[in-house]
Amino acid sequence: MSKYVIETKNLTKQYGTQKSVADLNIHVQQGRIYGLLGRNGAGKTTTMKMLLGLTQPTSGEVAIWGKPLRTNEKKLLPRIGSLIESPGFYPNLTATENLRIFATLRGVPNRNAIKNALDLVGLPYKDKKLFSQYSLGMKQRLAIALAIMHDPELLILDEPINGLDPIGIAEVRSFIRDLCTERGKTILISSHILSEIALLADDIGIIDHGALLEEESLAELEAKSSRHIRFTVSSTTQAARILERGFHETQFTIQDDYKMRLHNLDISVGEIVTAFVENGLTVSEAYICEESLEDYFKRVTGGEGIA
Amino acid sequence: MLDLIKCEFMKLKRKKFIPFVFLSAFLFPIPITFLMATPRMLERYPNKTVLFDGLFNMVMGYGVIFLLPCIIGVIAAMLFFMERDNDTFKNLRTIPITSTQLIMAKIIVLFAFGIIFCLASMFATVICGSFSMEIHGIAYKLLVAIELGIFITAGTLPIIVLVVFFSKTYIFSILLCVFYSVASLTVETLFGTLPKWLCWLLPIPMTTLWGAGDMVKHGFPLNVTALEKIIPSTFQTVLILGLMAVISIYLIDFLYKKRGE
Repeated sequence: MSKYVIETKNLTKQYGTQKSVADLNIHVQQGRIYGLLGRNGAGKTTTMKMLLGLTQPTSGEVAIWGKPLRTNEKKLLPRIGSLIESPGFYPNLTATENLRIFATLRGVPNRNAIKNALDLVGLPYKDKKLFSQYSLGMKQRLAIALAIMHDPELLILDEPINGLDPIGIAEVRSFIRDLCTERGKTILISSHILSEIALLADDIGIIDHGALLEEESLAELEAKSSRHIRFTVSSTTQAARILERGFHETQFTIQDDYKMRLHNLDISVGEIVTAFVENGLTVSEAYICEESLEDYFKRVTGGEGIA
Repeated sequence: MLDLIKCEFMKLKRKKFIPFVFLSAFLFPIPITFLMATPRMLERYPNKTVLFDGLFNMVMGYGVIFLLPCIIGVIAAMLFFMERDNDTFKNLRTIPITSTQLIMAKIIVLFAFGIIFCLASMFATVICGSFSMEIHGIAYKLLVAIELGIFITAGTLPIIVLVVFFSKTYIFSILLCVFYSVASLTVETLFGTLPKWLCWLLPIPMTTLWGAGDMVKHGFPLNVTALEKIIPSTFQTVLILGLMAVISIYLIDFLYKKRGE
């Protein structure tokens, strides 16, 4: 059995000469929220469409629960709930009637499934209001209700907070978190809003111009982007020993044989450099790094940043 | 498949055109009933029983043959444009429902509407005829109505291929189907002069020929002596229309898949 719920191998989608998604390798772990972060047109929706079989990849593979999607759609898709792009429903029907169509086609056994899904997103059950009379926020909520109605194990949500008001955003964020923590769902969520992904995701993939630039846990990314002192020395092993013995400091990370980061900024850089030099180390770089998460994203996406 | 068909009907809820389908079944029986009451017509038909057969033949042979392709065209446009217009195909694909399954369900719904319309026309004819004529042979007329519903719907499928191919507006689809109906009726006026193969290649005129031949066999007072050589048998009609329907469904499926990509 695969370690990952979703795994892509060199996933590529090419339209003419332009690559919308290029050699994408993402790894979504069981019971975690994976945030796919990228600017508009970065390739998030195309990626999600390929993960659901809505678009055929030009090359590469999609494996869900370790099985190739292309040959196992009938088995895999019923276990997935999705929201892709704008909500799509029949305008002449009510929310309940719309959901009933999809519940019938999915063969949802739970009679209360429609009511439960609507309750969860705060929409009334058996209301007479037609879908065409819904506001954008209500349409988005209904789309989320459709995604969760059949109690899927995996949720693929493309910009689920689009069109929601601030209270709605908070509510949706809260129940997405609950779905993951309380009901063990695995969730892949895309957004161009950094703060949203930072509030929700456990793991983050940064996509830009179709390519995955970074894939790490939020904790790792935060560590990378937090304030720290960077040292480039002749031996990080020896430097670590000096920090532990001379300064009783353990809040540092060793990147390689020469580079390390000290996360405690209360200690004087001058004192540390002196101690390193006195112990025979060569210090070629020592500076305080004050990069915010947004600065970090700006840097990895080539300076354009993410809203 | 049964669930899919059920859902296709559910999707048509509150569509204003659907009640119109039933109302339009009365569109031809009422004026034709009045026409049958004119002295010229009463002279042609010796008694009230034969007069009712004449009314039924005119409603089915002209009214239904003209109106049903238009109705099928409008419903087809509704059904086939529905997923595109409302962006619901992605919801169906992720269930997963294939475009072939969806197409088959929509085609079955079209056949259902074809049969329903013909039955409604038949009942409208019976209601209108009951005022001044003698109703008889209901079982056969019921059967012919169902057969015509199936045959005309199958015969309209080639035009549905064009509706899906152009994927334009509803108006365009309606115009296309009206043109098809008018062209079919025009061909029917030229039956004596056109070669047999051409009459058999055009589905609606061929259905009319079959209908006339079948009614004559069941005692309807129709003069088809000049057309005897070009009237197809039920087997030939089913075979040719079936073949056309299969090719049309294949093309609709191909086009729908292509549009969905």
